Amino acid sequence: MLSLCRYLLYLYPPAHRYEYGEEMIAVLRERQAETRETCAMARWMAGAHEIVGLLRGALQEHVRAATGSHPWAVIPSRRFAMRSEFRFPKATGWLMTLILAAVVMAIEKAKAIQASIPEAHPQVGPIQPEQFTFLTSVALLFVCGCVVGAVGWAVLFALRRSGVQRLEELRPSRGRSSGGGLTI
Amino acid sequence: MGSLPLSEPVLLILLSLVERPRHGYSILKNVEEMSDGRVTLSTGTLYGALRRLLDDRWIERFKEDESSRGRQAYRLTSRGRQILRLEVGRLKQLTRVASLRMVPKEM
Repeated sequence: MLSLCRYLLYLYPPAHRYEYGEEMIAVLRERQAETRETCAMARWMAGAHEIVGLLRGALQEHVRAATGSHPWAVIPSRRFAMRSEFRFPKATGWLMTLILAAVVMAIEKAKAIQASIPEAHPQVGPIQPEQFTFLTSVALLFVCGCVVGAVGWAVLFALRRSGVQRLEELRPSRGRSSGGGLTI
Repeated sequence: MGSLPLSEPVLLILLSLVERPRHGYSILKNVEEMSDGRVTLSTGTLYGALRRLLDDRWIERFKEDESSRGRQAYRLTSRGRQILRLEVGRLKQLTRVASLRMVPKEM
């Protein structure tokens, strides 16, 4: 059970693992020692309880890391507000503005081409919008999905990087309380 | 205070730290003991709650001894004690009202 729990700890954000990982393993070890002499059913129940707790805890920590609040925390939060320590990376804002500007420019350019072609080349005739078939629509949706996924991944990556950076900044001031590196 | 009422696990965690500082496992055992085994916190749940209490500065974390391998322990801050006093006062008042209402009226 302990080794499985060790692996489950990797589901937590690195900052949480660094700060509490060793402690959590020590508690899990004591828990395991405590249930060693009980019946198999009780051991199984205790193990399942710990596993569910770790999975839920990891999810909560990720939500907390991303949004700055604990939606399903043990402690109900009545102060649903952005925490001061949570900052959206500046690079993400610039990236999103840049993408939006590029999309708007592409639309405007396409409109200009559509309007200019019939005048410049009358033999070509007016440009008609593309008639999508089912397969093209599916392919287009797939491509859009990939693009959205890639952008989402980039945003998450930027968030994670900024989190790691903030942790690095915090480390010297927490020198006494952090208790060394994680060895799990 | 906007933080009240506290959930039962949080109230029990804070109560477990009233008498003396404790480390993680000791908090778990004390919570179980105080609730007669009704509230059994998992390690993941406990550390989620401890982290939040640390963020809110209701508790603080320190090393039990000065060695680098010393276990981390937790103790109540003055803010935590104040919150706990308010919550216990609220519960007392609630219990008083409930006990008055629940007593069968004599005809």
